Amino acid sequence: MKAFDPVALATPFFILTVILEIVLARFGKLKATYETSDTAVSLAMGLVSSAAGLLTAGASFAAAMWIYQHRAFSIPITAIWAWVVVFLLEDMTYYWFHRLSHERRFWWAAHVNHHSSQHYNLSTALRQTWTGGVAGTWALWLPLSFLGFPPAMVAIQKGVSLVYQYWIHTEAIRRLPKPIEAVFNTPSHHRVHHARNPRYLDRNYAGILIIWDRMFGTFQAELDAEACRYGLVHNLGTFNILRVAFHEWIGMAQDIVRQPRYVLGWLFGPPGWSPDGSRVTSARLRAEWLARQTKPQEALTHEAGVG
Amino acid sequence: MTTAYLIQFAVSAVAVALIVGLAAWATHARVSLALDESTARALLAEEFPGLDIDAIWLGTDGKGAIAKSGDRAFVVGRTGLGYVVRQVPWVRAMIAGVKDGRLRISLSDVAAPSATIAIAVWPPREFTT
Repeated sequence: MKAFDPVALATPFFILTVILEIVLARFGKLKATYETSDTAVSLAMGLVSSAAGLLTAGASFAAAMWIYQHRAFSIPITAIWAWVVVFLLEDMTYYWFHRLSHERRFWWAAHVNHHSSQHYNLSTALRQTWTGGVAGTWALWLPLSFLGFPPAMVAIQKGVSLVYQYWIHTEAIRRLPKPIEAVFNTPSHHRVHHARNPRYLDRNYAGILIIWDRMFGTFQAELDAEACRYGLVHNLGTFNILRVAFHEWIGMAQDIVRQPRYVLGWLFGPPGWSPDGSRVTSARLRAEWLARQTKPQEALTHEAGVG
Repeated sequence: MTTAYLIQFAVSAVAVALIVGLAAWATHARVSLALDESTARALLAEEFPGLDIDAIWLGTDGKGAIAKSGDRAFVVGRTGLGYVVRQVPWVRAMIAGVKDGRLRISLSDVAAPSATIAIAVWPPREFTT
């Protein structure tokens, strides 16, 4: 398969920087909140995720190789322009993968565990999925192989993206210079992504470049006036790692068994969807929050006889 | 699976154990503030905006609360340093059992199976006549 694996090479860096963040936070040198059980779950999720990934890696790579044999163009792996193009296309693919993983329950079930910590630190970055491979989202990258990018090239770029996204899981870095914040995904942008405040829900899906969120209307800047509250809309009440990994899959299966006629809605509706509307989706939470924000304003405007 | 991968996995597992130990040391002195009524109400308002609370009972150990709103019970329970909020039918909360001064309520949620709140007398006297 691939000879160069950015994630494997970066693993010692992951370990050292988590240690550094914990120690510096302990002595008050930077902002980070660690909790023993939470850290244990995050790191164990990451460790098992690397093994779980191997189960489907063969199938996904074989699919990419088959598609590549029927490619439209032949793109040389040694050309610099090819790396620039694959960087951009892979990053845009990641944006849509990530958006799908938040907006449709089937893929949310695989991704939800990454958002299940109520803390936001470097160990949260390692809280990775066990079921991403079986959820099949790797298929989204197949068009790159059809275009003619060698599968190894795509795999390396995916690894680079994953390594990049590690360091942005921190509260220690507040804001970077404006030109960087404008173009790149940063700790500030990604804190918003992990927040459960209605204003921040389902925003900033970017991998490396934040430009995709700006282009596709999902960008939200972090506001000083509204601190991020991390975790899920309904947080987990357990540190049991099996519940963390599989709770949404189990919940989805229970819903389907209870109401099989709504199977498509339960599988592919947005998280929080229900046939009778008794549950709330992110879109509804945002809309209700927005209504609460505008109502007092409208009342004040009316009282003052303006507008 | 190659030998190199197995070695990398084993070394990573040792590193995980070390980091968890370090996190335990770093968080050893951290104490969570006891849950008071205003904090419990704020947590409930965060997850259920506009909730009209009829009554609220706090756990004696400051680690949980239960509120009544119409025919629903809203349970606030501590998980680690954070809190989790769930709603169940009030009748289910009413029949929940107390053992050793702790009320245990089934939440029927795989992500939060149950909550335990330090309340010695349950159901509240006003609901037992």
